[in-house]
Amino acid sequence: MSLEALQDLWLTYQSTVAFVGLNGLLALSVYTTLSCGQLSLAQAAFMAIGAYASAILTFHTRAPFALNLAVATLLPALVAVPLGLPVLRLKGVFLAIATIGFGEVVRIFFVNLDFTNGALGLTAVPQRTAIWMIYAALAAALFVLWRTRGSRAGYALEAIREDEPAARTMGIHVARYKLAMLALGAAFAGLAGALEAHYTFMIAPGTYSFSRVVDMLVYAVVGGTGIFYGPVVGATFLTLLPEVLREVSSRVGLQPGPLRLFVNGLVLLLVILFLPEGISSLPGRLRARRRARREAHAA
Amino acid sequence: MGQQIVNGLFLGSIYALFALGYTLVFGVLDILNLAHQAVFMVCAYAALVLVVHLHMPMVAAFPVAVLLGGLLGMLVDRIAFRPLRGRSDSNIAGLISSIALATILEAGVVQFFGPDVERFPFGTVPTRSLKIGDAVVSELQIIIIAIALLMLAGLTWLLRRTQLGRRIRAVAENPRAARVLGVDVDRIISASFFVSSALGAAAGVLFGLAFNNVAPDMGRSVELKGLAVIVLGGMGSMPGAALAGLALGLLEVFTVAWIGSSYRDAVAFGVLFLVLVLRPRGLLGSAALREA
Amino acid sequence: MKIPVRWLTAAAAALLAIPSLSSAAETVKIGAAFSLTGNAAAYGAQQKAGVQQAIEDVNKSGKLKGVTLELILEDDATSKEQGIAVFQRFINRDKVSAIIGPTLSTTATAADPLAQQGKTPVVAVSNTAAKGITDIGDYVWRVSLTEAQVIPSALKAAQGKLGFKNAAILYGNDDVFTKGGFDVMKASLEAAGIPIVDIQTFATKDRDFNAQLTALKAKNPDFLMVSALVEQAAAIVSQARQLGWNVPIMGGNGFNSPKLMANAGPAAEGVMVGTAWNKASTDPVNLAFIAAQKARGNDPDQFCAQAYTGVLVIADAIAQAGMKGGRDDIKAGFAKVKDLPTPLGKFSFLPSRDGNHAAAVQIVKGGKFEILQ
Repeated sequence: MSLEALQDLWLTYQSTVAFVGLNGLLALSVYTTLSCGQLSLAQAAFMAIGAYASAILTFHTRAPFALNLAVATLLPALVAVPLGLPVLRLKGVFLAIATIGFGEVVRIFFVNLDFTNGALGLTAVPQRTAIWMIYAALAAALFVLWRTRGSRAGYALEAIREDEPAARTMGIHVARYKLAMLALGAAFAGLAGALEAHYTFMIAPGTYSFSRVVDMLVYAVVGGTGIFYGPVVGATFLTLLPEVLREVSSRVGLQPGPLRLFVNGLVLLLVILFLPEGISSLPGRLRARRRARREAHAA
Repeated sequence: MGQQIVNGLFLGSIYALFALGYTLVFGVLDILNLAHQAVFMVCAYAALVLVVHLHMPMVAAFPVAVLLGGLLGMLVDRIAFRPLRGRSDSNIAGLISSIALATILEAGVVQFFGPDVERFPFGTVPTRSLKIGDAVVSELQIIIIAIALLMLAGLTWLLRRTQLGRRIRAVAENPRAARVLGVDVDRIISASFFVSSALGAAAGVLFGLAFNNVAPDMGRSVELKGLAVIVLGGMGSMPGAALAGLALGLLEVFTVAWIGSSYRDAVAFGVLFLVLVLRPRGLLGSAALREA
Repeated sequence: MKIPVRWLTAAAAALLAIPSLSSAAETVKIGAAFSLTGNAAAYGAQQKAGVQQAIEDVNKSGKLKGVTLELILEDDATSKEQGIAVFQRFINRDKVSAIIGPTLSTTATAADPLAQQGKTPVVAVSNTAAKGITDIGDYVWRVSLTEAQVIPSALKAAQGKLGFKNAAILYGNDDVFTKGGFDVMKASLEAAGIPIVDIQTFATKDRDFNAQLTALKAKNPDFLMVSALVEQAAAIVSQARQLGWNVPIMGGNGFNSPKLMANAGPAAEGVMVGTAWNKASTDPVNLAFIAAQKARGNDPDQFCAQAYTGVLVIADAIAQAGMKGGRDDIKAGFAKVKDLPTPLGKFSFLPSRDGNHAAAVQIVKGGKFEILQ
């Protein structure tokens, strides 16, 4: 392939590559709370906080981008604490609903904030994000989660996920762990928000809606929430799928938009019904089945 | 002022109707059926198709669309919820599978109808208005409020006075005990979905007619408000949902009139958040906050 | 003298070669980004018809000797994200010489900066927000008159006819165009010394305007100005009439679509709107344009006329640049466009790169737009 052809290919697909990374990070932000059994749907709001904070710094100060990103990561985590304290006591679906409510309140707050142009949002945000930054952030997030896994914190989180009351009686400080995970997820989301805003040239409150966080949840669930890299697998798969489908749809005579929606929904349904541990559990399952077959033969 | 009350009651009765179905399923299954808004939307389109392509008068199209909604609801149960019964994570899994089904339905509608707004043809509904005091009420608004009240009454009668209703309440209270007592739990759940989705379908058709606006995203805007309504009213409480629906409609309208339209939605979610943090059982919910 | 056959063949070949040398047509690619789906689809459909006709007409007229215009049409889906994606493809992959569109000012504020960065000229044919379009940079040019150019004169005409004493405004606060329109409406009313008794807002996704309309009605204004896109405009007008409120209504550019009457029906009667296109003009260019559109089965509206003009302007710029169709050639050519005959009238650019031609006011009568004399 000629250099020019490669360059053209890159130009056409670079945003896909960028979004695979961003979506992976966002999926991880939902995963953090799921890993201790809580469903929090406020991540779009944390993303918005990170995005706006970093954009305001870009427009009004001469701060280096690294500082912007640091603020975008820390600020949502700080906001997560006063949110989490009253809300994490709620169980299951009520927690989910409360976080949805919080998410909407934040979105509407930004819609009404004249300082950031209200509903129109900020445009002509300079493109300061490079693709390597996105993947560096993703790698960092994966690293943090990987290190948590085998540690005492990791076991505590699993215990909480399995049986919260039992974990509490074992002396695990359940509330503290849940709050920590909420804050960590908020940090991931904020960082992703800042990176995205400085990649897509714009921020608009409409980007941080309930549908957005549902998308993040779908990435995590389809990828699998049993293992720390599962959500990234899901995000990659579901971000690449529309690109593949775009080629298919024109040949099949369907509109690309609804086809992508349909396939997303179908994949999610099939996964939740038949492969509840997500795509990332597939290799393990196949291996187990092969082993069982081998043993059956041996017997 | 009187006009704003009319506006609020009108909007609120649609919210109430939507929330009734939502809260019914939650009461019975402890599950949030996020495909409810998709049924709401699909049946509005169904009514549109019946009126435009089959030339049915709205008087006939409405009950047909409602029936379709009920059947669609049973399908939703069959596909998204029943296979998950018995799984330990059934609540979150059910939430997710209902989201999946809602996405599939929305995709289908966009493929067949396109993503843009559709309208009912002129003359589908009466357009005359009456003056009551200083308020103007259209015939359509009166019909919609009346239908909502009728459906609420019908639902109450169903739950209180019929055997089906007793069984539904038994399953809601304690599915295991109900099964022991000989109740076919799966069938009762199916029936609950029928009723719930029929209500949702009715709300959808009325919403589409009320603002003459049928679009694939119409369910999304009401879905989140619906959550606020059932939380405010108390999850699982029918009268709570009805009351809270009307209250939210009024609250929204007065917020727009006195504060500004941008805060319209903020009020609903602010209320939602406060209720969950301060009084999770809502206005009329039961005291025991069930483990979800 | 016997001329050697070789020479004759060579001469014949040379003679035959000359026409092919001069007809080595240069293809100039023009990317058109319009809202073919989404909230602004009503405008996009008309714009598509306009540019397709214009490309055909220009290529057929032979005005651009040796240059053929090629149209690449894409959907911006009334979304900023899609607009950005389409512009990126136009600039980097398709390497167009110029871009027409996008449909909405909101999309333009997000996408045009890319064209500026990519040194590709953009012709805005329906962006009418006074600020934030041509301000982006010197590669952004505008054919559509801004709200600031149309609304004040429309208001004056309405005032002359109706003589109202006070007014109220209802506008969408989450769209660059509708918000910009509001700013102009407010400024025009203030400049004309007309007190504003109330201002209400709505969001583009709203369907229920009863609360806002009731609040406005209670303040009893003589005149209502509405800055909205056509879907919401139709709903606002219907709901206002349904509330029994017969106040005269004047809309901004968003109202300039026959979809208003199609969706609001009899409620749209009497609604006024300033327009950049005098449909009743008997100028031959206008008449030819209308006839050609009708022959295609399209009843053209202002957006169609403006999109058509956009292509004419690009073609003229190419001609002015010496039949050269590169990006900077076209940009330089724009500055030389003067009194170009178009369906909109004689068109020139202002030093600010905005468009300049005469505007008009229209009123809905019998389900159709009529020019208010």
